[in-house]
Amino acid sequence: MKGFKPSAPFLLLLPAGIVLAAVVVVPLLLSLYSSFTPFRLTRPETFYVFIGIRNYLSILSNTDFWWAFGRTVLLLTIALNLEMLLGLGLAMLVEKATRGQRILRTLMMFPMMFSPILVGFQFKFMFNDNIGLVNNALQSLGITRDAIPWLIEGHLAFIAISIAEIWSSTAIFAILILAGLLAMPKEPIEAARVDGCTPWQTFRYVTWPFVMPFAYIAMTIRSLDVARAYDIVKIMTDGGPAGRTELLWTLVARTAYSDGRMGMANAMAYFSILLSIAFTVYFFNKLAAARTQIGAEW
Amino acid sequence: MDENSSARLKRRLLGVVYRIGLFLAMLTICLPGLWIVISSLRPTVEIMAKPPVWIPQEISFDAYVAMFSGIGKGGIPVIEYFRNSLIISVTSTVIAVAIGMAGGYAFARYRFRGKSSVFLGLMLTRTVPGIALSLPLFFLYVRLGIIDTHFGLILAYVALNVPFTIWLIDGFFRQVPKDLAEAAQIDGCTRWQAFWQVEFPLAGPGIASAAIFAFLTCWNEFALASQLTRSVSAKTLPVGLLDYTAEFTIDWRGMCALAVVMIIPALTLTYIVQKHLVGGLTSGAVKG
Repeated sequence: MKGFKPSAPFLLLLPAGIVLAAVVVVPLLLSLYSSFTPFRLTRPETFYVFIGIRNYLSILSNTDFWWAFGRTVLLLTIALNLEMLLGLGLAMLVEKATRGQRILRTLMMFPMMFSPILVGFQFKFMFNDNIGLVNNALQSLGITRDAIPWLIEGHLAFIAISIAEIWSSTAIFAILILAGLLAMPKEPIEAARVDGCTPWQTFRYVTWPFVMPFAYIAMTIRSLDVARAYDIVKIMTDGGPAGRTELLWTLVARTAYSDGRMGMANAMAYFSILLSIAFTVYFFNKLAAARTQIGAEW
Repeated sequence: MDENSSARLKRRLLGVVYRIGLFLAMLTICLPGLWIVISSLRPTVEIMAKPPVWIPQEISFDAYVAMFSGIGKGGIPVIEYFRNSLIISVTSTVIAVAIGMAGGYAFARYRFRGKSSVFLGLMLTRTVPGIALSLPLFFLYVRLGIIDTHFGLILAYVALNVPFTIWLIDGFFRQVPKDLAEAAQIDGCTRWQAFWQVEFPLAGPGIASAAIFAFLTCWNEFALASQLTRSVSAKTLPVGLLDYTAEFTIDWRGMCALAVVMIIPALTLTYIVQKHLVGGLTSGAVKG
Protein backbone atom coordinates (compact mmCIF):
# COMPACT_ATOMS: atom_id res chain seq x y z
CA MET A 1 0.00 0.00 0.00
CA LYS A 2 1.59 3.25 -1.10
CA GLY A 3 1.49 6.29 1.12
CA PHE A 4 0.43 4.24 4.13
CA LYS A 5 2.99 4.76 6.84
CA PRO A 6 2.09 3.00 10.09
CA SER A 7 2.90 4.93 13.22
CA ALA A 8 5.72 3.89 15.52
CA PRO A 9 3.59 2.73 18.47
CA PHE A 10 1.51 0.63 16.10
CA LEU A 11 4.60 -1.15 14.82
CA LEU A 12 5.98 -1.57 18.33
CA LEU A 13 2.76 -3.09 19.60
CA LEU A 14 2.30 -5.29 16.53
CA PRO A 15 4.28 -8.33 17.79
CA ALA A 16 2.37 -8.34 21.07
CA GLY A 17 -0.87 -8.05 19.14
CA ILE A 18 -0.02 -10.93 16.82
CA VAL A 19 0.96 -13.31 19.60
CA LEU A 20 -2.05 -12.49 21.72
CA ALA A 21 -4.38 -12.78 18.75
CA ALA A 22 -2.96 -16.15 17.81
CA VAL A 23 -2.86 -17.71 21.26
CA VAL A 24 -5.69 -15.98 23.09
CA VAL A 25 -8.19 -14.21 20.85
CA VAL A 26 -8.58 -16.73 18.02
CA PRO A 27 -8.79 -19.75 20.34
CA LEU A 28 -11.36 -17.90 22.42
CA LEU A 29 -13.45 -17.25 19.32
CA LEU A 30 -13.16 -20.91 18.50
CA SER A 31 -14.30 -21.85 21.98
CA LEU A 32 -17.14 -19.35 21.72
CA TYR A 33 -18.27 -21.14 18.59
CA SER A 34 -17.92 -24.58 20.11
CA SER A 35 -19.97 -23.48 23.12
CA PHE A 36 -22.89 -23.44 20.66
CA THR A 37 -22.29 -27.06 19.67
CA PRO A 38 -22.73 -30.37 21.51
CA PHE A 39 -19.03 -31.04 20.83
CA ARG A 40 -17.61 -34.11 22.55
CA LEU A 41 -13.97 -35.10 22.42
CA THR A 42 -14.87 -38.68 21.58
CA ARG A 43 -17.19 -37.73 18.71
CA PRO A 44 -15.42 -35.17 16.46
CA GLU A 45 -18.33 -34.93 14.02
CA THR A 46 -20.41 -33.20 16.72
CA PHE A 47 -18.20 -30.14 16.28
CA TYR A 48 -20.20 -29.14 13.21
CA VAL A 49 -23.65 -29.50 14.76
CA PHE A 50 -25.11 -26.18 15.73
CA ILE A 51 -27.50 -26.22 18.67
CA GLY A 52 -27.77 -22.51 19.46
CA ILE A 53 -27.81 -21.56 23.10
CA ARG A 54 -28.92 -24.95 24.40
CA ASN A 55 -25.65 -25.40 26.36
CA TYR A 56 -26.18 -22.09 28.08
CA LEU A 57 -29.79 -22.94 28.85
CA SER A 58 -28.85 -26.23 30.43
CA ILE A 59 -26.17 -24.46 32.49
CA LEU A 60 -28.79 -22.05 33.80
CA SER A 61 -30.75 -24.95 35.24
CA ASN A 62 -27.68 -26.83 36.45
CA THR A 63 -27.55 -26.55 40.25
CA ASP A 64 -24.02 -27.94 40.47
CA PHE A 65 -22.84 -25.14 38.26
CA TRP A 66 -24.51 -22.43 40.31
CA TRP A 67 -23.15 -23.87 43.54
CA ALA A 68 -19.68 -23.80 42.02
CA PHE A 69 -20.24 -20.28 40.77
CA GLY A 70 -21.46 -19.05 44.14
CA ARG A 71 -18.63 -20.80 45.92
CA THR A 72 -16.08 -19.20 43.60
CA VAL A 73 -17.46 -15.72 44.22
CA LEU A 74 -17.59 -16.40 47.96
CA LEU A 75 -14.00 -17.63 48.01
CA LEU A 76 -12.79 -14.61 46.05
CA THR A 77 -14.69 -12.18 48.28
CA ILE A 78 -13.42 -13.71 51.50
CA ALA A 79 -9.89 -14.19 50.23
CA LEU A 80 -9.42 -10.78 48.62
CA ASN A 81 -10.83 -8.88 51.61
CA LEU A 82 -8.84 -10.78 54.18
CA GLU A 83 -5.68 -10.58 52.07
CA MET A 84 -6.15 -6.84 51.86
CA LEU A 85 -6.65 -6.44 55.63
CA LEU A 86 -3.84 -8.80 56.59
CA GLY A 87 -1.56 -7.29 53.98
CA LEU A 88 -2.22 -3.82 55.35
CA GLY A 89 -1.56 -5.03 58.88
CA LEU A 90 1.62 -6.80 57.87
CA ALA A 91 2.88 -3.80 55.92
CA MET A 92 2.30 -1.50 58.89
CA LEU A 93 4.02 -3.92 61.26
CA VAL A 94 7.07 -4.09 59.03
CA GLU A 95 7.08 -0.35 58.40
CA LYS A 96 7.20 0.29 62.15
CA ALA A 97 10.23 -1.92 62.60
CA THR A 98 13.33 0.12 63.26
CA ARG A 99 15.91 -2.61 62.78
CA GLY A 100 16.22 -5.46 60.32
CA GLN A 101 13.63 -4.10 57.95
CA ARG A 102 15.40 -5.55 54.94
CA ILE A 103 15.29 -9.05 56.34
CA LEU A 104 11.66 -8.64 57.37
CA ARG A 105 10.78 -7.50 53.86
CA THR A 106 12.46 -10.54 52.34
CA LEU A 107 10.70 -12.87 54.76
CA MET A 108 7.42 -11.18 53.97
CA MET A 109 7.82 -12.00 50.28
CA PHE A 110 8.46 -15.64 51.02
CA PRO A 111 5.00 -16.96 50.05
CA MET A 112 5.14 -15.11 46.73
CA MET A 113 7.87 -17.44 45.57
CA PHE A 114 5.72 -20.52 46.03
CA SER A 115 3.86 -21.61 42.95
CA PRO A 116 0.16 -22.18 43.64
CA ILE A 117 0.62 -25.86 43.04
CA LEU A 118 3.23 -25.99 45.77
CA VAL A 119 0.99 -24.01 48.11
CA GLY A 120 -1.77 -26.51 47.50
CA PHE A 121 0.47 -29.46 48.13
CA GLN A 122 2.04 -27.92 51.20
CA PHE A 123 -1.30 -27.19 52.83
CA LYS A 124 -2.63 -30.61 51.84
CA PHE A 125 0.30 -32.00 53.77
CA MET A 126 -0.22 -29.71 56.75
CA PHE A 127 -3.97 -30.24 56.93
CA ASN A 128 -3.74 -34.00 56.52
CA ASP A 129 -6.00 -35.43 59.21
CA ASN A 130 -3.58 -38.16 60.18
CA ILE A 131 -0.04 -36.86 59.88
CA GLY A 132 -0.57 -33.16 59.24
CA LEU A 133 1.20 -30.43 61.17
CA VAL A 134 -2.03 -28.71 62.16
CA ASN A 135 -3.68 -31.73 63.75
CA ASN A 136 -0.44 -32.86 65.34
CA ALA A 137 -0.03 -29.45 66.94
CA LEU A 138 -3.64 -29.28 68.10
CA GLN A 139 -3.43 -32.75 69.62
CA SER A 140 -0.07 -32.18 71.26
CA LEU A 141 -1.33 -28.98 72.82
CA GLY A 142 -4.36 -30.85 74.08
CA ILE A 143 -6.85 -28.61 72.30
CA THR A 144 -8.55 -31.55 70.67
CA ARG A 145 -8.32 -35.28 71.16
CA ASP A 146 -9.70 -36.42 67.84
CA ALA A 147 -8.19 -35.79 64.46
CA ILE A 148 -10.07 -32.98 62.76
CA PRO A 149 -11.01 -34.09 59.21
CA TRP A 150 -9.78 -30.86 57.60
CA LEU A 151 -9.92 -31.89 53.98
CA ILE A 152 -12.64 -34.49 54.29
CA GLU A 153 -15.52 -32.45 55.67
CA GLY A 154 -17.01 -29.93 53.23
CA HIS A 155 -16.96 -26.71 55.27
CA LEU A 156 -13.60 -27.40 56.86
CA ALA A 157 -12.15 -28.13 53.43
CA PHE A 158 -13.42 -24.77 52.20
CA ILE A 159 -11.79 -23.07 55.19
CA ALA A 160 -8.55 -24.94 54.60
CA ILE A 161 -8.53 -23.85 50.96
CA SER A 162 -9.23 -20.25 51.92
CA ILE A 163 -6.33 -20.33 54.37
CA ALA A 164 -4.00 -21.67 51.71
CA GLU A 165 -5.15 -19.03 49.24
CA ILE A 166 -4.78 -16.23 51.77
CA TRP A 167 -1.37 -17.42 52.89
CA SER A 168 -0.09 -17.42 49.35
CA SER A 169 -1.39 -14.04 48.24
CA THR A 170 -1.25 -11.76 51.27
CA ALA A 171 2.38 -11.08 50.44
CA ILE A 172 1.46 -9.25 47.22
CA PHE A 173 -0.74 -6.83 49.13
CA ALA A 174 1.75 -6.42 51.93
CA ILE A 175 4.67 -5.69 49.64
CA LEU A 176 2.81 -3.15 47.50
CA ILE A 177 1.16 -1.39 50.44
CA LEU A 178 4.53 -1.24 52.13
CA ALA A 179 5.93 0.41 49.00
CA GLY A 180 3.16 2.97 49.34
CA LEU A 181 3.88 3.58 53.02
CA LEU A 182 7.56 4.05 52.33
CA ALA A 183 6.95 6.42 49.42
CA MET A 184 4.65 8.57 51.50
CA PRO A 185 5.92 12.00 52.53
CA LYS A 186 6.20 12.37 56.31
CA GLU A 187 5.04 16.00 56.60
CA PRO A 188 1.27 15.42 56.29
CA ILE A 189 1.37 12.88 59.13
CA GLU A 190 3.28 15.27 61.35
CA ALA A 191 0.93 18.07 60.43
CA ALA A 192 -2.06 15.89 61.32
CA ARG A 193 -0.51 15.04 64.66
CA VAL A 194 0.22 18.67 65.43
CA ASP A 195 -3.37 19.52 64.57
CA GLY A 196 -4.49 17.01 67.17
CA CYS A 197 -5.62 14.02 65.15
CA THR A 198 -5.92 10.71 66.95
CA PRO A 199 -3.82 7.87 65.51
CA TRP A 200 -6.99 6.42 63.96
CA GLN A 201 -7.89 9.72 62.32
CA THR A 202 -4.36 10.11 61.03
CA PHE A 203 -4.55 6.68 59.49
CA ARG A 204 -8.05 7.09 58.10
CA TYR A 205 -7.72 10.53 56.56
CA VAL A 206 -4.00 10.86 55.79
CA THR A 207 -2.30 7.49 55.40
CA TRP A 208 -5.11 5.47 53.85
CA PRO A 209 -5.97 7.80 50.95
CA PHE A 210 -2.31 7.83 50.02
CA VAL A 211 -1.85 4.09 50.23
CA MET A 212 -5.11 3.26 48.44
CA PRO A 213 -3.75 3.36 44.86
CA PHE A 214 -1.09 0.86 45.89
CA ALA A 215 -3.76 -1.41 47.32
CA TYR A 216 -5.64 -1.16 44.04
CA ILE A 217 -2.53 -2.04 42.07
CA ALA A 218 -2.28 -5.14 44.21
CA MET A 219 -5.97 -5.85 43.62
CA THR A 220 -5.56 -5.45 39.86
CA ILE A 221 -2.57 -7.76 39.80
CA ARG A 222 -4.42 -10.31 41.88
CA SER A 223 -7.51 -10.11 39.71
CA LEU A 224 -5.31 -10.83 36.68
CA ASP A 225 -4.85 -14.32 37.98
CA VAL A 226 -7.57 -15.09 40.46
CA ALA A 227 -7.83 -18.43 38.69
CA ARG A 228 -4.60 -19.46 40.40
CA ALA A 229 -6.94 -20.89 43.02
CA TYR A 230 -7.57 -23.68 40.53
CA ASP A 231 -4.13 -25.13 41.17
CA ILE A 232 -4.59 -25.01 44.93
CA VAL A 233 -8.02 -26.65 44.88
CA LYS A 234 -6.99 -29.22 42.29
CA ILE A 235 -4.21 -30.44 44.56
CA MET A 236 -5.85 -30.08 47.95
CA THR A 237 -9.29 -31.62 47.40
CA ASP A 238 -9.82 -31.86 43.62
CA GLY A 239 -13.30 -30.45 44.16
CA GLY A 240 -14.19 -33.05 46.75
CA PRO A 241 -15.59 -34.21 49.11
CA ALA A 242 -18.59 -34.95 46.90
CA GLY A 243 -18.21 -31.67 45.03
CA ARG A 244 -18.32 -29.55 48.19
CA THR A 245 -15.28 -27.49 47.23
CA GLU A 246 -15.89 -27.52 43.50
CA LEU A 247 -15.02 -24.13 42.01
CA LEU A 248 -15.95 -22.85 38.59
CA TRP A 249 -12.52 -23.74 37.23
CA THR A 250 -12.35 -27.28 38.57
CA LEU A 251 -15.85 -27.86 37.26
CA VAL A 252 -14.81 -26.65 33.79
CA ALA A 253 -11.78 -28.93 33.82
CA ARG A 254 -13.83 -31.91 34.95
CA THR A 255 -16.55 -31.36 32.36
CA ALA A 256 -14.01 -30.93 29.58
CA TYR A 257 -11.35 -33.54 30.23
CA SER A 258 -12.98 -36.17 32.42
CA ASP A 259 -16.43 -36.15 30.82
CA GLY A 260 -15.17 -35.03 27.41
CA ARG A 261 -18.07 -32.60 26.97
CA MET A 262 -16.10 -29.79 25.37
CA GLY A 263 -19.05 -27.76 24.12
CA MET A 264 -20.63 -27.60 27.55
CA ALA A 265 -17.28 -26.90 29.22
CA ASN A 266 -16.63 -24.02 26.84
CA ALA A 267 -19.98 -22.50 27.70
CA MET A 268 -19.09 -22.77 31.40
CA ALA A 269 -15.64 -21.39 30.72
CA TYR A 270 -17.21 -18.27 29.30
CA PHE A 271 -18.88 -17.61 32.62
CA SER A 272 -15.54 -17.85 34.37
CA ILE A 273 -13.90 -15.59 31.79
CA LEU A 274 -16.61 -12.97 32.25
CA LEU A 275 -16.18 -13.20 36.01
CA SER A 276 -12.44 -12.57 35.72
CA ILE A 277 -12.94 -9.71 33.30
CA ALA A 278 -15.51 -8.12 35.60
CA PHE A 279 -13.07 -8.25 38.50
CA THR A 280 -10.24 -6.76 36.47
CA VAL A 281 -12.23 -3.95 34.89
CA TYR A 282 -13.69 -3.03 38.28
CA PHE A 283 -10.31 -2.73 39.98
CA PHE A 284 -8.70 -1.11 36.97
CA ASN A 285 -11.29 1.66 37.10
CA LYS A 286 -10.83 2.02 40.85
CA LEU A 287 -7.11 2.28 40.28
CA ALA A 288 -7.50 4.98 37.65
CA ALA A 289 -9.88 6.93 39.90
CA ALA A 290 -7.56 6.63 42.90
CA ARG A 291 -4.63 7.82 40.82
CA THR A 292 -6.35 10.95 39.62
CA GLN A 293 -7.55 11.68 43.14
CA ILE A 294 -4.02 11.43 44.47
CA GLY A 295 -2.74 13.52 41.59
CA ALA A 296 -5.18 16.26 42.53
CA GLU A 297 -4.48 16.19 46.23
CA TRP A 298 -0.76 15.78 46.48
CA MET B 1 5.48 12.05 87.69
CA ASP B 2 2.87 9.37 88.09
CA GLU B 3 1.47 10.16 84.68
CA ASN B 4 4.94 9.93 83.21
CA SER B 5 5.71 6.50 84.53
CA SER B 6 2.33 5.10 83.52
CA ALA B 7 2.82 6.47 80.02
CA ARG B 8 6.24 4.85 79.93
CA LEU B 9 4.79 1.56 81.09
CA LYS B 10 2.09 1.75 78.46
CA ARG B 11 4.65 2.44 75.78
CA ARG B 12 6.83 -0.48 76.84
CA LEU B 13 3.79 -2.76 76.92
CA LEU B 14 2.83 -1.67 73.42
CA GLY B 15 6.38 -2.39 72.31
CA VAL B 16 6.18 -5.94 73.64
CA VAL B 17 2.79 -6.53 72.03
CA TYR B 18 4.20 -5.22 68.77
CA ARG B 19 7.19 -7.56 68.93
CA ILE B 20 4.98 -10.55 69.64
CA GLY B 21 2.66 -9.64 66.79
CA LEU B 22 5.54 -9.29 64.36
CA PHE B 23 7.03 -12.57 65.51
CA LEU B 24 3.75 -14.45 65.12
CA ALA B 25 3.17 -12.98 61.67
CA MET B 26 6.63 -13.97 60.47
CA LEU B 27 6.23 -17.42 62.00
CA THR B 28 2.99 -17.98 60.10
CA ILE B 29 4.67 -16.92 56.89
CA CYS B 30 7.76 -19.06 57.24
CA LEU B 31 6.60 -22.16 59.06
CA PRO B 32 4.89 -23.98 56.16
CA GLY B 33 7.99 -23.70 54.01
CA LEU B 34 10.32 -24.79 56.78
CA TRP B 35 8.11 -27.75 57.51
CA ILE B 36 8.46 -28.92 53.91
CA VAL B 37 12.24 -28.65 54.06
CA ILE B 38 12.39 -30.57 57.36
CA SER B 39 10.04 -33.25 56.09
CA SER B 40 12.10 -33.81 52.98
CA LEU B 41 15.12 -34.57 55.14
CA ARG B 42 13.61 -37.05 57.58
CA PRO B 43 12.72 -40.70 57.06
CA THR B 44 9.14 -41.55 56.13
CA VAL B 45 8.69 -43.40 59.42
CA GLU B 46 9.11 -40.14 61.30
CA ILE B 47 6.64 -38.29 59.09
CA MET B 48 4.05 -40.98 59.72
CA ALA B 49 4.81 -41.36 63.43
CA LYS B 50 2.01 -41.19 65.99
CA PRO B 51 2.43 -39.43 68.38
CA PRO B 52 4.30 -36.95 66.18
CA VAL B 53 8.06 -36.60 66.30
CA TRP B 54 8.71 -32.86 66.42
CA ILE B 55 12.47 -32.74 66.28
CA PRO B 56 14.05 -34.80 63.51
CA GLN B 57 16.07 -37.64 65.03
CA GLU B 58 18.14 -38.28 61.92
CA ILE B 59 18.80 -36.27 58.81
CA SER B 60 19.15 -38.01 55.48
CA PHE B 61 19.30 -36.97 51.86
CA ASP B 62 17.83 -40.25 50.66
CA ALA B 63 14.81 -38.59 49.07
CA TYR B 64 17.01 -36.34 46.92
CA VAL B 65 19.33 -39.16 45.94
CA ALA B 66 16.39 -41.36 44.98
CA MET B 67 14.82 -38.53 43.01
CA PHE B 68 17.84 -37.86 40.84
CA SER B 69 18.86 -41.46 40.30
CA GLY B 70 16.42 -42.09 37.50
CA ILE B 71 13.04 -43.65 36.87
CA GLY B 72 13.67 -47.07 38.31
CA LYS B 73 14.56 -46.00 41.82
CA GLY B 74 12.89 -42.72 42.66
CA GLY B 75 9.66 -43.38 40.81
CA ILE B 76 9.49 -40.28 38.64
CA PRO B 77 11.80 -38.86 35.94
CA VAL B 78 12.68 -35.63 37.70
CA ILE B 79 15.70 -34.86 35.53
CA GLU B 80 13.59 -34.87 32.36
CA TYR B 81 10.94 -32.69 33.99
CA PHE B 82 13.60 -30.30 35.17
CA ARG B 83 15.06 -30.08 31.68
CA ASN B 84 11.65 -29.48 30.11
CA SER B 85 10.84 -26.79 32.65
CA LEU B 86 14.13 -25.06 32.03
CA ILE B 87 13.94 -25.13 28.21
CA ILE B 88 10.34 -23.97 28.10
CA SER B 89 10.71 -21.25 30.73
CA VAL B 90 13.93 -19.75 29.35
CA THR B 91 12.82 -19.70 25.71
CA SER B 92 9.42 -18.21 26.37
CA THR B 93 10.91 -15.63 28.74
CA VAL B 94 13.38 -14.40 26.13
CA ILE B 95 10.67 -14.04 23.50
CA ALA B 96 8.17 -12.44 25.91
CA VAL B 97 10.71 -9.86 27.07
CA ALA B 98 11.65 -8.92 23.50
CA ILE B 99 7.99 -8.38 22.65
CA GLY B 100 7.38 -6.71 25.98
CA MET B 101 10.20 -4.22 25.44
CA ALA B 102 8.72 -3.09 22.16
CA GLY B 103 5.27 -2.77 23.67
CA GLY B 104 6.40 -1.17 26.91
CA TYR B 105 8.44 1.39 25.02
CA ALA B 106 5.40 2.27 22.92
CA PHE B 107 3.32 2.87 26.04
CA ALA B 108 5.98 4.82 27.89
CA ARG B 109 7.18 7.12 25.09
CA TYR B 110 4.35 7.68 22.62
CA ARG B 111 0.95 9.23 22.86
CA PHE B 112 -1.64 7.63 20.65
CA ARG B 113 -5.35 7.37 20.40
CA GLY B 114 -7.07 4.84 22.63
CA LYS B 115 -3.91 4.27 24.64
CA SER B 116 -5.59 3.35 27.90
CA SER B 117 -8.13 1.09 26.22
CA VAL B 118 -5.37 -0.72 24.34
CA PHE B 119 -3.59 -1.16 27.66
CA LEU B 120 -6.72 -2.46 29.34
CA GLY B 121 -7.35 -4.76 26.38
CA LEU B 122 -3.87 -6.25 26.75
CA MET B 123 -4.47 -6.82 30.44
CA LEU B 124 -7.80 -8.46 29.77
CA THR B 125 -6.16 -11.13 27.63
CA ARG B 126 -4.22 -12.03 30.76
CA THR B 127 -7.36 -12.46 32.85
CA VAL B 128 -8.59 -15.45 30.88
CA PRO B 129 -8.22 -18.31 33.36
CA GLY B 130 -5.61 -20.82 32.24
CA ILE B 131 -8.05 -23.67 32.43
CA ALA B 132 -10.60 -21.85 30.24
CA LEU B 133 -7.90 -21.05 27.70
CA SER B 134 -6.67 -24.62 27.75
CA LEU B 135 -9.91 -25.96 26.21
CA PRO B 136 -9.59 -24.35 22.76
CA LEU B 137 -5.79 -24.57 22.86
CA PHE B 138 -6.01 -28.29 23.57
CA PHE B 139 -8.31 -28.73 20.59
CA LEU B 140 -6.16 -26.58 18.29
CA TYR B 141 -2.90 -28.16 19.39
CA VAL B 142 -4.25 -31.64 18.73
CA ARG B 143 -5.25 -30.55 15.23
CA LEU B 144 -1.91 -28.87 14.57
CA GLY B 145 0.00 -31.75 16.09
CA ILE B 146 1.86 -29.60 18.60
CA ILE B 147 0.28 -31.05 21.70
CA ASP B 148 2.80 -32.40 24.20
CA THR B 149 5.69 -30.48 22.59
CA HIS B 150 8.00 -27.80 23.92
CA PHE B 151 6.94 -25.49 21.12
CA GLY B 152 3.28 -25.59 22.08
CA LEU B 153 3.87 -24.66 25.69
CA ILE B 154 6.41 -21.99 24.78
CA LEU B 155 3.88 -20.35 22.49
CA ALA B 156 1.20 -20.39 25.18
CA TYR B 157 3.57 -19.02 27.83
CA VAL B 158 4.75 -16.18 25.63
CA ALA B 159 1.15 -15.03 25.27
CA LEU B 160 0.61 -15.50 28.98
CA ASN B 161 3.57 -13.30 29.86
CA VAL B 162 3.42 -10.53 27.29
CA PRO B 163 0.72 -8.38 28.97
CA PHE B 164 2.36 -8.31 32.36
CA THR B 165 5.82 -7.84 30.89
CA ILE B 166 4.54 -4.81 28.99
CA TRP B 167 3.08 -3.37 32.18
CA LEU B 168 6.35 -3.79 34.08
CA ILE B 169 8.64 -2.56 31.30
CA ASP B 170 6.37 0.40 30.63
CA GLY B 171 6.88 1.36 34.27
CA PHE B 172 10.66 1.09 34.01
CA PHE B 173 10.90 3.16 30.84
CA ARG B 174 8.77 5.84 32.49
CA GLN B 175 11.35 6.13 35.25
CA VAL B 176 14.02 7.00 32.67
CA PRO B 177 13.76 10.75 32.04
CA LYS B 178 12.68 11.59 28.52
CA ASP B 179 15.24 14.41 28.30
CA LEU B 180 18.16 11.98 28.29
CA ALA B 181 17.14 10.32 25.05
CA GLU B 182 16.27 13.70 23.56
CA ALA B 183 19.68 15.06 24.49
CA ALA B 184 21.30 12.06 22.84
CA GLN B 185 19.27 12.68 19.71
CA ILE B 186 20.28 16.33 19.63
CA ASP B 187 23.88 15.19 19.88
CA GLY B 188 23.37 13.23 16.67
CA CYS B 189 22.07 9.81 17.73
CA THR B 190 19.22 8.29 15.80
CA ARG B 191 16.24 7.31 17.87
CA TRP B 192 17.33 3.69 17.55
CA GLN B 193 20.81 4.50 18.85
CA ALA B 194 19.42 6.66 21.63
CA PHE B 195 17.32 3.75 22.75
CA TRP B 196 20.14 1.21 22.88
CA GLN B 197 22.84 3.56 24.15
CA VAL B 198 20.89 5.57 26.69
CA GLU B 199 17.47 4.29 27.63
CA PHE B 200 18.08 0.56 27.52
CA PRO B 201 21.06 0.55 29.89
CA LEU B 202 19.16 2.76 32.34
CA ALA B 203 16.06 0.59 32.29
CA GLY B 204 18.21 -2.57 32.19
CA PRO B 205 17.86 -3.73 35.81
CA GLY B 206 14.12 -3.25 35.59
CA ILE B 207 13.90 -5.24 32.39
CA ALA B 208 15.94 -7.97 34.00
CA SER B 209 13.47 -8.22 36.83
CA ALA B 210 10.57 -8.31 34.37
CA ALA B 211 12.38 -11.21 32.72
CA ILE B 212 12.76 -13.03 36.01
CA PHE B 213 9.12 -12.46 36.79
CA ALA B 214 8.15 -13.95 33.44
CA PHE B 215 10.48 -16.86 34.06
CA LEU B 216 8.84 -17.57 37.40
CA THR B 217 5.36 -17.46 35.89
CA CYS B 218 6.38 -20.16 33.40
CA TRP B 219 8.29 -22.11 36.00
CA ASN B 220 5.25 -22.25 38.28
CA GLU B 221 2.42 -22.53 35.77
CA PHE B 222 0.21 -25.57 36.18
CA ALA B 223 -3.29 -25.22 34.69
CA LEU B 224 -2.18 -25.00 31.05
CA ALA B 225 0.75 -27.36 31.37
CA SER B 226 -1.35 -30.06 32.96
CA GLN B 227 -3.63 -30.21 29.92
CA LEU B 228 -1.21 -29.45 27.09
CA THR B 229 1.43 -31.99 28.09
CA ARG B 230 1.08 -35.65 28.82
CA SER B 231 4.42 -37.43 28.58
CA VAL B 232 7.99 -37.16 29.71
CA SER B 233 8.87 -35.33 26.49
CA ALA B 234 7.19 -32.08 27.57
CA LYS B 235 5.88 -32.37 31.15
CA THR B 236 7.13 -29.67 33.47
CA LEU B 237 7.96 -29.87 37.16
CA PRO B 238 4.61 -28.62 38.52
CA VAL B 239 2.84 -31.32 36.52
CA GLY B 240 5.44 -33.84 37.63
CA LEU B 241 4.59 -33.13 41.25
CA LEU B 242 1.28 -34.84 40.63
CA ASP B 243 3.09 -38.09 39.82
CA TYR B 244 3.56 -38.60 43.54
CA THR B 245 -0.17 -38.54 44.18
CA ALA B 246 -1.18 -40.76 41.28
CA GLU B 247 -1.51 -43.85 43.44
CA PHE B 248 -3.49 -44.50 46.59
CA THR B 249 -0.62 -43.66 48.86
CA ILE B 250 1.18 -40.37 48.68
CA ASP B 251 4.95 -40.33 48.97
CA TRP B 252 5.08 -37.26 51.20
CA ARG B 253 8.81 -37.28 51.58
CA GLY B 254 9.46 -37.50 47.85
CA MET B 255 6.97 -34.75 47.22
CA CYS B 256 8.60 -32.53 49.81
CA ALA B 257 11.97 -33.11 48.20
CA LEU B 258 10.65 -32.21 44.75
CA ALA B 259 8.99 -29.14 46.24
CA VAL B 260 12.34 -28.01 47.62
CA VAL B 261 13.96 -28.56 44.23
CA MET B 262 11.26 -26.41 42.62
CA ILE B 263 11.39 -23.65 45.16
CA ILE B 264 15.15 -23.07 45.25
CA PRO B 265 15.49 -21.41 41.81
CA ALA B 266 12.36 -19.38 42.48
CA LEU B 267 13.65 -18.28 45.86
CA THR B 268 17.02 -17.19 44.54
CA LEU B 269 15.61 -15.30 41.59
CA THR B 270 12.90 -13.52 43.57
CA TYR B 271 15.44 -12.43 46.14
CA ILE B 272 17.55 -10.87 43.40
CA VAL B 273 14.74 -8.87 41.83
CA GLN B 274 12.54 -7.93 44.76
CA LYS B 275 13.55 -4.27 44.83
CA HIS B 276 13.01 -3.58 41.13
CA LEU B 277 9.82 -5.55 40.97
CA VAL B 278 8.01 -3.36 43.46
CA GLY B 279 9.40 -0.23 41.82
CA GLY B 280 8.15 -1.29 38.41
CA LEU B 281 4.67 -2.21 39.53
CA THR B 282 4.09 0.97 41.47
CA SER B 283 5.73 3.49 39.18
CA GLY B 284 3.10 5.96 38.11
CA ALA B 285 0.94 5.13 41.11
CA VAL B 286 1.79 8.48 42.61
CA LYS B 287 2.37 10.55 39.53
CA GLY B 288 -0.27 9.08 37.25
